[in-house]
Amino acid sequence: MGVPLSRSMISADLPHRPQLLAAVVFTCLLAGCGPTTVVVQGNFPPPLIEPLPLTLGVWYGDDFARHEFFDEAKGRGESSWVVNTGEAQVQMWDTLLAGMFEKIIHLNNKPGPGQSNASIDGVLIPHVEELQYTIPIHTHVKVYEIWMRYRFELVTTGGEPIAEWSMASYGKTPTAFLQSNQAAVNLAAVMALRDAGANFATHFTQVPAVQAWLQEKGVLANASTP
Amino acid sequence: MNTSGRSLLLSASIALVSACVTSTVDEMIYNEPIEGIGDSSVVILGRRHGSDYETEPDFVLCVGEYIASYDHSITVIGELEFINALYPWFEPRTAPLHPEDIDRLLAQKPVAEKLAALKVEYMIWLDGSTVRTGGSGSMACSLVGCFGFGTWAHDANYEATIWDFTDQAAVGHINTHASGQSYMPAVIIPIPIIAPVKGAACDGIGHQLLEFLSSEY
Repeated sequence: MGVPLSRSMISADLPHRPQLLAAVVFTCLLAGCGPTTVVVQGNFPPPLIEPLPLTLGVWYGDDFARHEFFDEAKGRGESSWVVNTGEAQVQMWDTLLAGMFEKIIHLNNKPGPGQSNASIDGVLIPHVEELQYTIPIHTHVKVYEIWMRYRFELVTTGGEPIAEWSMASYGKTPTAFLQSNQAAVNLAAVMALRDAGANFATHFTQVPAVQAWLQEKGVLANASTP
Repeated sequence: MNTSGRSLLLSASIALVSACVTSTVDEMIYNEPIEGIGDSSVVILGRRHGSDYETEPDFVLCVGEYIASYDHSITVIGELEFINALYPWFEPRTAPLHPEDIDRLLAQKPVAEKLAALKVEYMIWLDGSTVRTGGSGSMACSLVGCFGFGTWAHDANYEATIWDFTDQAAVGHINTHASGQSYMPAVIIPIPIIAPVKGAACDGIGHQLLEFLSSEY
């Protein structure tokens, strides 16, 4: 994808004293160096789609913007995993929504009573409800996989619900020579994020409650339906 | 040693460290362009919707490079460049499975404009993979070196389907199958004798596609 597939979570600010360094190394060895961490990184292209003539507000909750998946090791030979997708989620959804709508506005506060803004047609609140992964050690199939289940809320700036729906996404990548588990899980996560974007972009206008909202706004005829 | 002597030694060394590969290619072409594809371009894409395998990006790249290296007049658009430029319409979930689906794509104005700008005349879908089919032997390594013998086999099966974008029809199918056995004897130093199975499949399918697309072959 043209960028490093994974990066270490360990800070580069190393201790200067040799004793402290030795203590850190010893603790690290005792602890098995902790869980395997993947901070998902990737490039996400803008969608080639006719933008809807609407101004969409977007609000990312902390659970979404800092989304992290933790899976504890189940066996002696396995490692615990931390898959941090928050940063990549925000990057992908920002790029996607900016291409799908005429204008997007990031909100600082969650939509609620007393926050009406007439220039915003609706506010999208995405949630990652579930994330699952498999690596070849689990399945004996030479494929790394990531599943994600999203829930979307489309509300008014005052917080009144317009639509709510779920969507799944899936990404996989085969094993490759000299590819680490982290790099492969990162690539599978990037594929899952791209799939989420593709699924959202091609099905958004087909969600019944969204269709009703678009009709109300008078833009359904212009909507890009596949 | 003179230059021809060195070349002979190099060729002999390569022949010695390469294992044998058996390769077969079947093709069924309906509507070959007589004058080549002119200044149009071709895009080669891998199928990725299978549950337990996916066409390797390096195989797709290899076939594209084979065609472009033999006929410089053919423009082969890079796979990643193409699917990024047409996101989200060529993701595993959304990619067209049949030539009739091209109409659905062209109904999207920005997609039709982008494809026209890229001058895509032919879209070639590669579907398949190379898998390791077996292995045996053992090897032990110590401070003084490695001793033992290992052998393993690879099977490559790929199908190329050529779509004519203008006529919105499939105009050809090419199948290739390659298999080969690799060896690694080790007496102090392990010497891998690799069967270039994927490379043979790439050359086989690449050559047939070159014959289809180029006016010079």
